[in-house]
Amino acid sequence: MPPVSSNLRVQVLFFGRVRELTGLAEEIAEVPSGTTLASLFGLYAARFPKLAAFRSSLVASRNEEFASWDTPLSNEDRVSFLPPVSGG
Amino acid sequence: MAMANTASENDRIALLHSPIDLLAIVRDVRADPDGAMVTFDGFVRNESHGRRTLHLDYEAYEPMALAKMKEIAALAHQHFAIHRLAIVHRLGRLQIGETSVFIAVSAPHRGAAFDACRFAIDTLKRTVPIWKKEYFEDGAVWADGELPPAPPSSPRTAS
Repeated sequence: MPPVSSNLRVQVLFFGRVRELTGLAEEIAEVPSGTTLASLFGLYAARFPKLAAFRSSLVASRNEEFASWDTPLSNEDRVSFLPPVSGG
Repeated sequence: MAMANTASENDRIALLHSPIDLLAIVRDVRADPDGAMVTFDGFVRNESHGRRTLHLDYEAYEPMALAKMKEIAALAHQHFAIHRLAIVHRLGRLQIGETSVFIAVSAPHRGAAFDACRFAIDTLKRTVPIWKKEYFEDGAVWADGELPPAPPSSPRTAS
């Protein structure tokens, strides 16, 4: 069944301290068209107030690429708010 | 002697949930056209900032981490006269002394292999979405990391 035309369905993934803070590994978010990575983050920051303080130490990704916060979302995008990386 | 200027089909880029077989990687990466191989073995230290470490948990955004590791390999081939490259990172719980990341680079001459190996580990630590949590006797913390650079804002982002 196609989504309501004015809404986007995006997959949101959570890692590291963001995963722990939200208690989420992933979920599907339904958001109005025109939503950007920043405004999507704002929805999660409202839902998880502790997340708001982390914004300056997160980098956003869209479809497995780092993306600027003003990037508009498309239907079926996979997005994430990534903490500083510490591999190695 | 012509060196391929792009990622080699013999490159080995992987995320593993089991111990890394260092010798198997070394065997795969060294080849007859080469005269040198440089490896980097990153393993779990028994302390962090003066606290005794019990173990580490690594997690990754796996599809993105693999894509970023392949980008590093492609850049290494562009910038250095190397032959084969392996970048393998382990995920899950690691004990003291266990290898978390292993990089091996072969080349006809040692300079390119040293440079490419250094480039690969330094870039991995800055840009590949992998995280480690450090466990101590009295708690656990996410390791301080590096924030990868985000692309600049743009008026229109192609989809």
